[in-house]
Amino acid sequence: MLCPKVPVNMTVPSAAGILHPAQALKSTSALPATIPEDPSGSLSQDGFDVYASYQRILENEDIATPLAAILALTELIEHSTAGTMFELVKELHDAAEVLKNRTTNSISLNAGTELFIAFVTLFPHESDSFADLKTELVKQGQKYAAEALTYRSKISELALDFIKDDSVILTHSYSRVVMQTLLRAHKQKRISVYVTEARPRGLGVKTYEALTAAGIPCTMVLDSAVAYVMDMVDFILVGSEAVVESGGLINAVGSNQIAIISKAFKKPFYALAESYKFHRLFPLSQYDLPTHTDDILSFPRHAQRLSPVLAARPSVAPSTSSNPVLPRQLAIRRSESSASSSQRAMTPEQILRNPKVDYTMPDLISLVFSDVGILTPEGVSQYLVGMFAG
Amino acid sequence: MSSAAGPPPEDAGQSSAPPGTPPVKSQKQMTKAERREIQERQRAAKAEKAAQNQSKNPGKSSNKPAQTSKESAPAPRKVSKPAEAAPRGAQGAAGQSKDTKTGGEDKPAHTRGLRIFSHFGLPKPTSHKGEVHPAIVRLGLQFSEFKITGANARCIATLTSFKTVIQDYVTPPNNTLSRHLMTYLSPQISYLVNVRPMSVTMGNAIRQLKLDISGTDIDLPEQDAKDALCGKIDTYIRDRIIAADQVIEETAGNKIKDGDAILTYARSSVVEKVLLAAYADGKEFTVTVVDSRPMLEGKKLLKVLSSAGIQCTYLLLPAVGSVITEISMVLVGAHSLHSNGAVFSRAGTALVAMMAKQHSVPVVVCCETYKFSETVQLDSFARNELAPLELFKSFPRNNEEDSSSLGDRPNLQILNPLYDLTPPSSITAVVTEVGVIPPSSISSIPLALGRTIL
Repeated sequence: MLCPKVPVNMTVPSAAGILHPAQALKSTSALPATIPEDPSGSLSQDGFDVYASYQRILENEDIATPLAAILALTELIEHSTAGTMFELVKELHDAAEVLKNRTTNSISLNAGTELFIAFVTLFPHESDSFADLKTELVKQGQKYAAEALTYRSKISELALDFIKDDSVILTHSYSRVVMQTLLRAHKQKRISVYVTEARPRGLGVKTYEALTAAGIPCTMVLDSAVAYVMDMVDFILVGSEAVVESGGLINAVGSNQIAIISKAFKKPFYALAESYKFHRLFPLSQYDLPTHTDDILSFPRHAQRLSPVLAARPSVAPSTSSNPVLPRQLAIRRSESSASSSQRAMTPEQILRNPKVDYTMPDLISLVFSDVGILTPEGVSQYLVGMFAG
Repeated sequence: MSSAAGPPPEDAGQSSAPPGTPPVKSQKQMTKAERREIQERQRAAKAEKAAQNQSKNPGKSSNKPAQTSKESAPAPRKVSKPAEAAPRGAQGAAGQSKDTKTGGEDKPAHTRGLRIFSHFGLPKPTSHKGEVHPAIVRLGLQFSEFKITGANARCIATLTSFKTVIQDYVTPPNNTLSRHLMTYLSPQISYLVNVRPMSVTMGNAIRQLKLDISGTDIDLPEQDAKDALCGKIDTYIRDRIIAADQVIEETAGNKIKDGDAILTYARSSVVEKVLLAAYADGKEFTVTVVDSRPMLEGKKLLKVLSSAGIQCTYLLLPAVGSVITEISMVLVGAHSLHSNGAVFSRAGTALVAMMAKQHSVPVVVCCETYKFSETVQLDSFARNELAPLELFKSFPRNNEEDSSSLGDRPNLQILNPLYDLTPPSSITAVVTEVGVIPPSSISSIPLALGRTIL
């Protein structure tokens, strides 16, 4: 529209030597396709379900959400009957919308679909026919995905230099790239790891088990004990759901508080992110994330005089209004309060009012390790501007 | 020509002035008339040097040659006294070093200014040689009387006037349009610069126009070439300003959520459009318009917004601290954007932005990419502009006697810089037509767009 499209070989000055992902797609020599799926036979030509294909690809433990989205879109192209570029791009956009709407947390998925659609629109039309072009696109998409699987080892290689012998590392929740980095570091250096429990999903347990099994000294800490443990820690290593344009980070909830505490303790906060997780999104605050809904952190509307604790307080405004919702709400409230008093645990309803991801401000992040290099938060944003501007 | 595109050049044309050291001894032996003459020349020469000297030795550089007791009282108050020297420096800095002396001595007491602000350049009396197109004269008048203000409006008005100038231009015999038109436009541009210092947007647009002119095919018939140039001007206005504003409207509008309380300062045409568009979209939000003397531009915005039906609050700059905690986002416009991420905008913006930053309120600047300037500016002193006192009274006119006499007091000087610089650290994001970007990445935008010039 306004601005000329970025030439495919565009690189950003601050990140010299970085390959544009789209360029990486093109320039890679043929790699053995490590994607186990062979989708061609499993789906019919007309009724292709992009979400089903996305779910199936996700079953592979090694494939991250954005990558799965890219592969699902690749399959879509394979099954597409589109005769022109315009139709194809429209189909891709529609499919991206479908994926977005059917998943609860669409942030990292969007990063993948956006990257792929940008790649398709920028792809040079050199093929003889449109069918050839589609085949070429599919080939490139799969090649990219295959290569993207090596990104984690690249990142762990980069991060290795930053892990000194005898380091004490704090990590949060479960991240494949962090796991790979820690296991890699364990082969050469003595490291010990604190891992947060990462409620509500409790994925810290998974990290703990895997690290202990590998022989790395590992202790699980409460999410609320991060400030307690921070003084013992040398640096923080977290994965990411997405790295956004401000240079900030979107990750499992709790990352932000860890970053804030690490800043207060002046400990470096390192984020690991594959470049397909770079996302053109600029959250201004926690509540500016696409995952934020009105339900999250909302106050119950009729909370007064329900539990004994609340009733003991000076009453705020007696809700005597004839609201038809009231009896049902009351019932829910009662069951909730009785459950919480007996178990001292949050009910599923209470957990639902909590965010799953949070946004870490760029000024709290020391460095972002990525397959395109080690970037400062500013570098990330410059890379993203260079990648998508225009 | 260079004076037109770039910042006002440093005045280096004072070669006739004697060396800066004040001959204290000889002064006493001279007659009053002789002393007076020497002082006049010294002041003119020192006006430029003052800025450099001041940082090293503020006592000496305050340069008050008329008093014999000058070394004994190096009070900072001195600075405001030499009312004659400052405007001369100011005018010299604005462009024409040759006219400086005569212009300054003609009416020495009318304009004042601290010497550190002397390079800001007050609007000069419009005495210009050369052929100036009537459209430009009219535009100049509108600029100097602040009838047309705002970076966008001024840029569009300038380009539109240039279209008339280009259409009325006739290439002289034995010349080509691509070579001669620019020499014809130069006096028009310097006329505009004289009446009011050029905005960065105008500079960028004129640079693009120059490029287009020099790139015009020599063999093209004259009328076709002129039409092509006017077409390019139209394209520039449409793509870089109008369309860019539409994209910004949408992007920034997406950042406004139901229930938000938006704070804005003074008046920006883009911010106005963003707010109106978001309201038309059905978003429910309130707007706090912060305003300040002397221009009180916010009133205009307030009128537009409230007549559109948006819930508005109007307050002056000192009250920002009281309301900032209730604000969910600060939305401001910009005069220009520097490559280090600093935003040059209406004086007071920096204050609002810093206050917002202090309270963790996101500060969002709406700015088209054609406002980018590849210079780096570190403070508001390096480059600024003073509001003319005749147009913007600094004191409320409650008491007629007071305000009328204020202007003539020798030991009072009124200073109204038009702009200030908001450091990148107090800006959360800049909304441009290429997306929302952090201020730190501004320098990579032109490159990412594949442009060598902005």
